[in-house]
Amino acid sequence: MPPVLELRGITKSFPGVLANDAIDLSVEKGKILALLGENGAGKTTLMNILYGLYKPDKGQIFINGEEVTIHDPSDAIARGIGMVHQHFMLIPVMTATENVMLGVEPTRSGIFLDKAKVSKRILEISKQYDLEVDPQACIGDLPVGAQQRVEIIKVLYRQADILILDEPTAVLTPQEVEGLFKVLRSMVANGKSVIFITHKLKEVLAIADTITVLRNGRVVGTVNAKDASQEKLAAMMVGREVNLVVKKKTATPKDVVLSVKDLYVRDERQNLTVNGASFEVRAGEILGIAGVQGNGQTELVHTLTGLAPVVRGEISIMDKPVRHSSPRNVLERGVAHIPEDRQRHGLILSFPVHDNLVLCTYYQPPFAKGLALQQKVIVETAEKLVTQFDVRTPNVFVPVSTLSGGNQQKVIVAREFSRPIQLLIASQPTRGLDVGSIEYIHNRIIEKRDEGTAVLLVSPELDEIIALSDRIAVMYKGKIVDILPAAKVNKTYLGLLMAGVKPSEALEAAPATTQEIEVERVF
Amino acid sequence: MNAKVTQTNPEGSAQKEAPKSEGERKKGSKFLQILLVPILALLTGFIIGAIVIALSNDAVIAAYRNFFHAPGAALAATWKAIVTAYGALFNGSIGSFTEIRQGIQSYYATGDSKPFLLAIYPFTESLATVTPYILAGLAVAVGFKCGLFNIGAEGQFGIGALCSAFVGYSIHGLPWFIHLPLALLAGAAGGALWGAIPGYLKGLTGAHEVVITIMMNYISFRLSDWLLNGPMKAPGYRPLTPVVESSAMLPRFFPDPLRFNWGFFLALAMAVFVYWFLFKTTIGFEIRAVGANPDGARYAGMNIVRNFVIAMTLSGGLAGLAGATQVLGIDHWVGQGFSAGYGFDSIAIALLGQSHPLGVVLAALLWGTLRSGATRMQSLAGVPIEIISIIQGLVIVFVAAPAFIRWIYRIRAISVQTTVLTRGWGK
Amino acid sequence: MKRISNIFAVLAVFVLLLTACGPAATTVAPATSVPPVVVPPTAVPAVPTNTLAPTLKVGEVTDFGGVDDKSFNALGWKGVTDAIAQLGVSGKFLESNVQSDYAKNIQQMLSENMDLIITVGFNLGIDTAIAAKANPNTKFAIVDYTFPDCWPGAVEGTDCASATELPNVRGLTFQTDEAAFLAGYLAAGMTTTGKVATFGGIAYPSVTIFMKGFEAGVKYYNQKHNTTVAIIGWDNATTTGLFTGNFSSTDDGKSFATSLVQEGADIIMPVAGPVGLGSAAYCQTSAKCLIIGVDTDWFVSANEYASVLLSSVQKKVDVAVFKAIQDAVNGTFTGGTDNATLASGGLDLAPFHNFDSQVPQTLKDEIAQVKADIISGAVTVDGVLATP
Ligand SMILES: Nc1ncnc2c1ncn2[C@@H]1O[C@H](COP(=O)(O)OP(=O)(O)OP(=O)(O)O)[C@@H](O)[C@H]1O
Ligand SMILES: [Mg+2]
Repeated sequence: MPPVLELRGITKSFPGVLANDAIDLSVEKGKILALLGENGAGKTTLMNILYGLYKPDKGQIFINGEEVTIHDPSDAIARGIGMVHQHFMLIPVMTATENVMLGVEPTRSGIFLDKAKVSKRILEISKQYDLEVDPQACIGDLPVGAQQRVEIIKVLYRQADILILDEPTAVLTPQEVEGLFKVLRSMVANGKSVIFITHKLKEVLAIADTITVLRNGRVVGTVNAKDASQEKLAAMMVGREVNLVVKKKTATPKDVVLSVKDLYVRDERQNLTVNGASFEVRAGEILGIAGVQGNGQTELVHTLTGLAPVVRGEISIMDKPVRHSSPRNVLERGVAHIPEDRQRHGLILSFPVHDNLVLCTYYQPPFAKGLALQQKVIVETAEKLVTQFDVRTPNVFVPVSTLSGGNQQKVIVAREFSRPIQLLIASQPTRGLDVGSIEYIHNRIIEKRDEGTAVLLVSPELDEIIALSDRIAVMYKGKIVDILPAAKVNKTYLGLLMAGVKPSEALEAAPATTQEIEVERVF
Repeated sequence: MNAKVTQTNPEGSAQKEAPKSEGERKKGSKFLQILLVPILALLTGFIIGAIVIALSNDAVIAAYRNFFHAPGAALAATWKAIVTAYGALFNGSIGSFTEIRQGIQSYYATGDSKPFLLAIYPFTESLATVTPYILAGLAVAVGFKCGLFNIGAEGQFGIGALCSAFVGYSIHGLPWFIHLPLALLAGAAGGALWGAIPGYLKGLTGAHEVVITIMMNYISFRLSDWLLNGPMKAPGYRPLTPVVESSAMLPRFFPDPLRFNWGFFLALAMAVFVYWFLFKTTIGFEIRAVGANPDGARYAGMNIVRNFVIAMTLSGGLAGLAGATQVLGIDHWVGQGFSAGYGFDSIAIALLGQSHPLGVVLAALLWGTLRSGATRMQSLAGVPIEIISIIQGLVIVFVAAPAFIRWIYRIRAISVQTTVLTRGWGK
Repeated sequence: MKRISNIFAVLAVFVLLLTACGPAATTVAPATSVPPVVVPPTAVPAVPTNTLAPTLKVGEVTDFGGVDDKSFNALGWKGVTDAIAQLGVSGKFLESNVQSDYAKNIQQMLSENMDLIITVGFNLGIDTAIAAKANPNTKFAIVDYTFPDCWPGAVEGTDCASATELPNVRGLTFQTDEAAFLAGYLAAGMTTTGKVATFGGIAYPSVTIFMKGFEAGVKYYNQKHNTTVAIIGWDNATTTGLFTGNFSSTDDGKSFATSLVQEGADIIMPVAGPVGLGSAAYCQTSAKCLIIGVDTDWFVSANEYASVLLSSVQKKVDVAVFKAIQDAVNGTFTGGTDNATLASGGLDLAPFHNFDSQVPQTLKDEIAQVKADIISGAVTVDGVLATP
């Protein structure tokens, strides 16, 4: 029997970039293929070709042994290919049912929408694949994990046999990831095939049957999941040994750089989301804020950087209060900020790479003389940073939107690290990055620490927090419930705190510290 | 299956291998690709315009009644109607080459320059017509660059015209090199004020600029009604201002009735200035960043309110300057029908020009030239002037919906970043 | 296959666009204006023969509103079409959409060697003067305006156009107060509430002259009959009155009529173009007032309101334009001013139409007498207004 899907010699170039170079790939019926590769390796491009969003320069696509040409997504859907994009394509004000039927609206007597029929079918699908979804719920009210389930149902509703998931786990909590894997398993059990893109090697080993690794637009190799290990995959992706363990010296904390006392903050809907938080970060140490997403971390960071107003309490940076400071004021005091939502806050997507690299300093010499921008200096600086931080881009003049997700993140990191800084506030700094880049950025953060920068690290990834931090603060419902040294922290204890158990009760269940642990990176 | 790990080529990045020349060639063709859609849109607009011309021509309709007896006559009539109309349009906007040649000949033969001047009248008149469109189009484009939809260009145009007219007629005895700049400046300042108010209100209260600028338009319409009937009324009973002093007039290059004047070059200079300002200065950088992604701009330390005010002030100033050049260069006085939609047309021009100063200049050239030639087309070919509006409207629709043009001509979408013009309602 | 379906789809869109655009195009250029070039059968330009006298070419440049404004632009064009039919001239028009069009349209007419160019409206005064001075061999006639357009203290030729420089321009003016006088007299004679009203668009002299004449007519009636009919909306002593501020909003017409009726008026003369139609609509639905139209006979031009149209003050622009053309044809065209009066027949009070039976014969006779007195000069508007 021929494979369900086979790609032969797919080639695609963008101006200055060969994104896919003669790629061969095949997916068996009822199997999960994981697609691995560095940032910018061409994974998304390849999937977009398969889904009809791009036209390949060369190459053939076979479905069930028959050669096909895919002009556009509707062609792809007709051939049984469905795709869940990294950024969902749902309409927030519509219900799950309405979103699912969009574009394929069934009608009664040709004019009336038959929503009931769709709802029924959704319930059937959700039962068959264990996809829990309320058909009547408004998309905007659903958590990210549930929205993703709606996307998957949307694909299944269109009777897809091949499901493409582009970095589906980047936005999910560990529990949600587990749920997704359950769904995927039941889908392959029902004879569907899945192509799964991720940067997290653990997930790959947990779910995939075969793994194809891309590098620089070419297939480096295909392995069976049984035969693979994290180290081996990392090496295949990056082309060299990757250090999977974070190595760092013990910190030598100095003066307090950031101090937060009894801070209260409201979110956009006027809910009190930071509820009397207090902590300090010293020069030369990394304070990690652990916590399930949505416990006030976002608002805390926004307030620290001047993006949101303080309701009550005190923040001071280098002994100066920041209560009414504008974002620029904060930045000029030597604060670097890697924002949690890189596309919304961190970048001007339509601007070229070089402008994004000076987004916070464009008005200062040497980038500006008076009013006039010094284009030459900006470009030269940008080119230096692009080389230094290994940003994969054809040149610094392309819009940053054409960069792959991971490379966009590197642009932000390069920009923030290139300024003289006293305090680094990093929200999920490695989201969507490949192993090599994670290693690089982790090392740079530790380097900054060792140079005497105070670092506040916010991340829902417990592993990353444990690996990098010197001290860990656990945030729950807008409060810092406990702060403890990271070196000997007990993961179970942390988990309990994050789940809202009081420290005193948690201590009864598990000790706060254990033996020194070898911390692995999160991949 | 075993892993085939290729370790030999760790740095063999595709991007470094990609030949540079290819990248540059692509860059050149990118410009063509940007122009492709507007050009095809224009072509399509003219084709549909031709169909409308044919259908609204009685002779053509009559010929088609007889189509089965004399198909040739019907086609000939169609052809004749279209050629007559577009021929007159061309002669009306560019000029007739025969007339120009005869004009030159008669100048050499008799020394009389009048036939020559009349022969170049259409072309110079087109350039004169284009002037306010360039400036007002730049005004709207600057707003778009900051993510603001300045519907108020019409009002700013009118206020600018009144201000410069006032300075132009009320001050006497100044040398032109003081009076003219003063009058121009007054127009720009009036428009700038009229634009700054909505910019400030938006920044301060979050009110949508579309609503505020529309309201500012109404205020300016009523204000100018009142001024023309009261404080600014010329002696006599007509509701119009006095004629401006000749020291405040933008000098014309040719004698009457040719109205081509310095204003055109002033407009081109402003286009260069706007380009420099938007793309080469820190303020322009901020304006564009705020327009493209206000959240990102705020994160990077930019003051959103300040940028709204700056962008709207510049936008209003340009619209006001458009009004000023119209008064000081063309009309010399302001009456009630002074601006019939320059400000509104300029929205279309900014759209057509993709909010880029060069694009705006090209779009304005097209727009003004068509408008200017339409008079002759109406008069000589009997084609209603509204045909031009139809063609212009179609071009805008096609440019605004490029997918449609791509689909007709089967061009693949190119990954040129779409310009963010304005964000939706609210937010 | 795909291509063919594309082509069909494009055609379908074309058809849609055409059906969408078709009516739009015709409403802006209605039957009267298509084709704009009306060549009489006698003129056959293709066969030039020496036996035929060259056809006089007439061009009209309108103000905003265009030839289908049902008001003075339309009347001006009617004068030309009448001349085309009766005098065998050829004629065309160009509409102005913006101030800078005036000069341009006149220039277009000049480039086509028009013999007589008619400019409609005082807004075209400046551009007409400039063009006339530069083209002394072309004849011009301007509606509602005349040269010299000087004011006290002005220097002729510098501040205002000089009459001697412009012998080729004829100003067509209208002594409308004479006809409005008759309307005021009629209104005063017909009111049951003892109050009549008028309002204007904007206080241009061409507007207030109606209101002034109307007031004089009411006053004259009061003198004659020893009555105290009051007039709302205009006071000549202070030259103040009621104005909508525009010539376009029928809503304003409605609301003005409503409040005037509340103040007790039962006959209204709106001098504000289409605004008055709003007032007529109000009177028709409320049945509380009657309307006196202006410019044209509204019974003809706005027949839908016939049931409330008492009469109209006719300002016969078409007659004045026709006369200018006729003079040009006959070679008797002169510059200066042609001031239309009751005596010249350029003004009149329109027939009563539906109200013919309701207007008492005595009143009809009196109006005829007043008209004769005005023509003879026995009664003058200013004279009546001057009496205490
Ligand atoms: N529309 C585009 N225009 C120009 N270049 C593009 C475009 N899309 C992708 N590229 C380039 O193609 C290369 C491959 O990008 P792609 O998005 O496929 O990477 P990826 O493997 O998905 O990376 P990541 O893991 O970071 O998402 C990158 O160098 C990127 O800059
Ligand atoms: Mg990707």
